[in-house]
Amino acid sequence: MSDSFSIKLNGQTVDAFTGETVFQVAARTEVEIPSLCHDDRLAPAGACRVCLVEVAGQRRLQPGCAWVVTPDMEIITESDRIAKHRKVLYNLYMADHELDDAGLPIETGNGNQLRELCKTVPAMNLEPVIAPRSGRPRDDNPYIQFDPELCILCARCTRYCDEVEAVNAITLSNRGGETTIETAGQRSLIDTTCELCGGCIDTCPTGALIEKKAPVNLVQLGGTEAVRSTCNFCGVGCQLDLHVQNDKLVKVTSPEPGETLNDGNLCVKGRFAYDFVHHPDRITQPLIRGEDGLLHRATWEEAIKATADGLMKVRDKHGPDSLGFVSSSRCTGEENYLMQKLSRAAFGTNNVHQCAAT
Amino acid sequence: MFGAGAMTNAIDEIRDSEMMFVIGSNTTEAHPIIAMEMKRARQRGAKLVVADPRKIWLADMADVHMQLKPGTDVWLLSAMANVIISEGLYDQAFIDEHTRGFDSIRQKVKSYTPEEAEQVTGVPAEDIRTVARMYATTKHAGIYYTLGITEHTHGTDNVYSLANLVLMTGHLGVRAAGMNPLRGQNNVQGANDAGATPIYYPGYQKVTDANVRRKFEDAWGVSLSPDDGLNLNVMMKEMSKGNVKALYVMGEDIVISEPNVSRVEAGLNRCEFVVCQEIFHNETTRFADVVLPGACFAEKDGVFTNSDRRVQRVRSAVSPPGQARPDWQILCDVARACGYPMPNYAHAGEVFAEYASLSPNIAGISYQRLDQNVAGLQWPCPDKNHPGTPTLHLNGPMIGRAEFQAVDYRPSAELPDNEYPLILSTGRTLYHYNSATQTRRDPGPVAKQRGNFIEISKRDAKIYGLEHGERVRVSSRRGTVEAEAWISPRVRFGCIWMPMHFAESRANLLTNDEGDAVTGTGEYKVCAVAIEKIKSNVAQPVELANS
Repeated sequence: MSDSFSIKLNGQTVDAFTGETVFQVAARTEVEIPSLCHDDRLAPAGACRVCLVEVAGQRRLQPGCAWVVTPDMEIITESDRIAKHRKVLYNLYMADHELDDAGLPIETGNGNQLRELCKTVPAMNLEPVIAPRSGRPRDDNPYIQFDPELCILCARCTRYCDEVEAVNAITLSNRGGETTIETAGQRSLIDTTCELCGGCIDTCPTGALIEKKAPVNLVQLGGTEAVRSTCNFCGVGCQLDLHVQNDKLVKVTSPEPGETLNDGNLCVKGRFAYDFVHHPDRITQPLIRGEDGLLHRATWEEAIKATADGLMKVRDKHGPDSLGFVSSSRCTGEENYLMQKLSRAAFGTNNVHQCAAT
Repeated sequence: MFGAGAMTNAIDEIRDSEMMFVIGSNTTEAHPIIAMEMKRARQRGAKLVVADPRKIWLADMADVHMQLKPGTDVWLLSAMANVIISEGLYDQAFIDEHTRGFDSIRQKVKSYTPEEAEQVTGVPAEDIRTVARMYATTKHAGIYYTLGITEHTHGTDNVYSLANLVLMTGHLGVRAAGMNPLRGQNNVQGANDAGATPIYYPGYQKVTDANVRRKFEDAWGVSLSPDDGLNLNVMMKEMSKGNVKALYVMGEDIVISEPNVSRVEAGLNRCEFVVCQEIFHNETTRFADVVLPGACFAEKDGVFTNSDRRVQRVRSAVSPPGQARPDWQILCDVARACGYPMPNYAHAGEVFAEYASLSPNIAGISYQRLDQNVAGLQWPCPDKNHPGTPTLHLNGPMIGRAEFQAVDYRPSAELPDNEYPLILSTGRTLYHYNSATQTRRDPGPVAKQRGNFIEISKRDAKIYGLEHGERVRVSSRRGTVEAEAWISPRVRFGCIWMPMHFAESRANLLTNDEGDAVTGTGEYKVCAVAIEKIKSNVAQPVELANS
């Protein structure tokens, strides 16, 4: 670890290390500093100005996400001056944002952090800003929807796309009031380097980016508990929060960054490829092949009996090693345990395997 | 060789690497989130070396890309060992304390000079020297590999060659280093751990060990077979010979995923009885006498164990459709109907408790602890107070000494000739998963990749008169499939690449089922093929997702 020293944070003496930002020091204390453009997975940008703090000796307020502390620095995170700054800043954001009937930035379902911040300051009712920003009207990708009117240009999405996913499919473009998030040539994300990981949606603080396939308003879902589980695709073992409504899987998100090994990230399969769960092609009934060579519906009792009879007949005729049991690296540990137990204990053969190569 | 087949180090250590040596792993496509850690490490200044016959995505951000000819890994790695030894860059203290047989390697790799390696592998000798020096002199240097290493008839030799490098440089028991096989599927690690392997009971306890067998006989109340069983590759071959006569297949589409699937199909046709336990009809259920509807991951409880030995919970979120049931319940019913008194487990947790009680390496793990540890528990975790083991061999040496394994290069089983002049390698893409019964039912993967394709170099495309997107017929000695030709800068001249995901155009009709002598793993990465352009202008039917 680098050198340690102390600083004063809101009058309290706290430990800090060389190179740390105000945010990193504050994260170890009770002090909370609001922010919109910061994500621990990204380099500080200081773009949204929400996290401005007072630094002794500095004439201007400084962004806590990016300001690097030095020994004996004195930082104030709450003061009249900061409160005044936030009031004006949030109202400026509101003047340039689509508002709902309550006069607050609209909630599109992912949790609008700007809306929560705006609730904390009195409304100044500034004249709305006319900002003709372009979106991606011809973007027919099936997963990611962008609404430029709800965007505050914090660039978390473009920085995520660059720094974490490293595919640089989207970028800030145009200038001044027309600044927006675009792909090259306003192409559909399908036709760019985008890998449809959906990390941009996940990091967006205002809900300007939402999922096309899950327009469900998780905020309105209210008390619905997500079920924590493990992704069923590759061997990384990403943790998932499965959101359920009426016994249907309606959305998949990652746990918060820092909590599990995927650090808030998912890939296209983990986040989006869950349509198979409720797909009409699922096998819903046991089936037994009849004399006519076709599979026919059967009851569980019949199917279990047919399975047992079929296996036992071959064992009795040809011995246990004439049986083969192919277990599955897609199934659970318990199921693999039971499959090998079935093979070994019920039939007396070690002919049990799965595609272990992978 | 110095432990079980699993990553020696934890995934989140990757971000603290100083060097990553990625060989035979297209990490951004096969393990996207591990690739994110690699990208993060790269952005923090870590060195990245990619050894792969294809110019994969990671190769673009690598310091060195060693674009070796498919199947020449032993030459490449032995030449690296040659450099490390001849330049005295090995870790003598580690070798003395923890290993055996270094002299055998010293002798063996003498003849594997970088200059000759260049002739065989196509990788410049200077690059081999650079990478060998970089690897040997960087403390936090990890090796990451996948099926590009193991899916060869000399897959075990490839792994030994990597392990030799790890041992001679002492990159073991060090954070952000080690030897890290990235497992391809959600629970391939856990399936092995649980004993779904013909030579081990749960917890890597040998079926041929009489004491171990007695323990399991006591626990399960029956006498058990003392003989090793058949691995999957051999099982498929014995089935085609008529020696395996009944097959119980759970959650695996073997006539897509096994090599040389024509032989597998012939074997299934010879079987007297086949039962499939599945969530979708697939190519294999066509052969089933009984089909049992199982539950998908979102519909049942259990654990998956990932690449870095992390046991994590799977939790039921929705009900299975229709009469489908969690697979563990089906297996219990089948066992009872066969006359074996499988206990009446009330919950998957009771199955886990029995499994853990018989497996010393996970004996300390319980559902209760997994609920408390949101990031999972990594084995070994031998007792209930043990915190789990993110990094293997960290605080002290291995049990005993690790043995260097001197190996010689052997060519792949089937090399190109006049009749089949190209080398075919197969693999996965980001957008689809294995037999793709899940991913082809979602619009995004389908929009990105609709059907089967080959990647072919510009030079080869010119020889065959191919334009990008034209259809080709690809043939090997075992079968023929049709696919689109994608002219790609990623592949070498003389090599083509094809994904394994598409049921109507199965790459594994082409692949060679000649297996590795130790593991039985088929040679998915090298077989000889011929291609011809399909002249018809008639548009080919394209499979669409149903959603």
